[in-house]
Amino acid sequence: MLKRITGNLKDTWDVFAAEVRRVFGDKTTVVIFFLATVVYPPLYYYIYHLEMLTEMPVAVVDLSQGRDAKRFVHKLDATPELTVAYRCANIGDAEQLLREHSVKAIFLVPKDYDALIAHQRTGTVTVVTDISSFIYYKNALMGGSNVLLDEMKTTQLAFQAAEGVTGEEARTQIEPVAYDDVKLYNPGGGYASYFIPALLMLVVHQTLFFGICVLCGDANENRKALRLIPPRLRSRSVYRVTLGRLLCFLFIYIPITLLDLWIIPYLFGMPQLGRPTEVMLLVLPYVIAITCFAMTLGNIFARERMSMLLCCLFFSVILFFLSGVVWPQSNMPRFWYVFSYLFPSTPGIQGFVRISSMGATLHEVRHELLALWMQAGVYFASACLSIRFIKHFSR
Amino acid sequence: MWRVVNRELRRIWHSPRYLAILTLAAVLSFVFFATMTQEGQPQKLHVGVVDLDHSYLSRRLCHELEATQGVTVAAVYDNHTEARLAMQRGEIFAFYEIPAGTYNELLQFHAPRFSLYTNQSYLLAGSLSYRQLATMGKLAAGAVQREVLRKKGYKDDAIMGLIQPVALETHAIGNTKASYCIYLMTTLIPGIIALLALLHTAYVIGRERQERTVKSWMRKAGGDALKAMWGKALPYTCYYSMLLLLANFIMYGPMGMPLEGSWLLLALHSMLLIVAGQSAAMFLMGCVPDPSVAMSLTSAYATLSFTMCGFSFPVDAMPLPMQSFSLMFPLRHYFLAMRDIAFFGNGFETCWPQTAALTAFWLLSLIGAAMLNRQYERRLAC
Repeated sequence: MLKRITGNLKDTWDVFAAEVRRVFGDKTTVVIFFLATVVYPPLYYYIYHLEMLTEMPVAVVDLSQGRDAKRFVHKLDATPELTVAYRCANIGDAEQLLREHSVKAIFLVPKDYDALIAHQRTGTVTVVTDISSFIYYKNALMGGSNVLLDEMKTTQLAFQAAEGVTGEEARTQIEPVAYDDVKLYNPGGGYASYFIPALLMLVVHQTLFFGICVLCGDANENRKALRLIPPRLRSRSVYRVTLGRLLCFLFIYIPITLLDLWIIPYLFGMPQLGRPTEVMLLVLPYVIAITCFAMTLGNIFARERMSMLLCCLFFSVILFFLSGVVWPQSNMPRFWYVFSYLFPSTPGIQGFVRISSMGATLHEVRHELLALWMQAGVYFASACLSIRFIKHFSR
Repeated sequence: MWRVVNRELRRIWHSPRYLAILTLAAVLSFVFFATMTQEGQPQKLHVGVVDLDHSYLSRRLCHELEATQGVTVAAVYDNHTEARLAMQRGEIFAFYEIPAGTYNELLQFHAPRFSLYTNQSYLLAGSLSYRQLATMGKLAAGAVQREVLRKKGYKDDAIMGLIQPVALETHAIGNTKASYCIYLMTTLIPGIIALLALLHTAYVIGRERQERTVKSWMRKAGGDALKAMWGKALPYTCYYSMLLLLANFIMYGPMGMPLEGSWLLLALHSMLLIVAGQSAAMFLMGCVPDPSVAMSLTSAYATLSFTMCGFSFPVDAMPLPMQSFSLMFPLRHYFLAMRDIAFFGNGFETCWPQTAALTAFWLLSLIGAAMLNRQYERRLAC
């Protein structure tokens, strides 16, 4: 009995050692595992570190030229989102500026704006905005509606004052119910705080996946896949081979995930509400699931070193959308929602975003954890089976 | 050069596997984005209500929320903690908290306050549900005001001007309904097809090195590396251009995406995008001698282009060095040209810098070919 256990351990150790040598002996995997994971996160952080677009240039066409209109324009300029770069005399000039992309939006105050307000009718300001990036649209909308709210209050207070109602009473009249808005987890609505946590998990997923696929493809291409399995294990159960390889990638990737998911966010001051132990407890099944998933696909489909990189790189974009960070999971068509759980990235990204940006505990991400462990189990079994596939194929 | 094209066509004929897989990849991406974002904007986002008041008002609010297109009340909670945990579990994106005694305070004109919590770590869902709930809050206040004014004897048409003295009307250019489908697909689909073309070109060039067939390849081209490279790339240029034109045709045709400008101009830029991507691939494959490492670098470059084209996070909000760096990506120029042609209806007089930039990428293939030539001659010498 004892001899059998030590024998098994010895086998696993042999596979582990051989695999580590293979990883470090291959230039491509070294680039993917150790260069990509170190370069990508800081690069993306640098790209997004300004978090949002401020002082977006807009043009104003003030046809009214009244007091209320001027105040509106003044307040627009004062918002952090917008800056009034041009004041045009007519809509044609403003349109020209928009077409040339000198401004991203036009605010048009109609001729009768002041007159309407004076007659206690609604004065309407028209916004025409560039929507080629949604951030332009959002900025124009946010800046515009913040000014709108403030102007409404000012005008209504003036109406009340005209009727002889002032002070607290007037305020209650115009705002009988008020609300405080609390923006949780990413109060500034910044892009980096939203995008980077998900991206970090995706970088871990994709580098590990492609690295393993390169190794599997290399083995298949040079017809040495069988040779890589120690001779005495070839005819017997193959779980030791899978286990040994899995341990190798865990050994390499646990420090990398620690760097990418803990040290780099710490250095760059990214949101980091979760405890390191919780992050690591999520990452453990994540790395196991990715490794086994990649070994399964790699053993079966990677006929050449580069074939998986060629065929699956486009999928990174799709994986990001499948994770539900951009398009909410509750709004996905049923099919894509189920499909998304084939990939470790979906529960991994969801779990990590909730732990590190939203301060959830493991209890709140238990569904994601369960999904990851189930994927780990299923893909481990399929990875073992896929080795049989190689043996069959090689014969 | 035709001899190289012929040779490459024969190679494709013998193993059409990758061409088939990559075509499938393009189709899959197209179907994915078309079906995923078919709602245009996420509808019926899940929100919650923490009802501590248990009054007519809070129940009314739930009903009103249910009636909107944008959000749906997933659950009503008894306390704040439950709602927060639900948010952390990802079940809701926002919630209202109505404190006890709100309705009484309202009746007594004490201006009660309630709170609106939104989860901003999901930027899209967070801001959409915020907008919806904030509007509801304003409408609630407006409804109360209207009741008061009615009781004071104002007529309904006069009341509107009093409650809402100022209004804002928004028009988005091109994408009038602010549909995510249009926004994502018009850039992502060309981006993905260009990525496939770029990778495939890089792959076939690298493959010559791996199979040690560079000599026969160069001999077919008469020793001219540029001819060798483009001869090899030309079948893919044609194929992926056709694929991209077809995708664009479906998007701007039956799918009804806005195309204000000239279809021909857009087609020209689509083809230039493919050629520019291939040139970049030739440059990278020429400069890095190890084909696998070169391919990994090409992949890294290709993935970055989705960020650097600036369609999600605008390039003007990136740090200055990155703004210049973005010019290194063909997708950036395509995105700018597409915006001009499709959304703004501008002609060649506005988008010529992009046309020029995309064409200039061709120069990269010259460098790539020169590098290949040098390596080839060195090998011949030894």
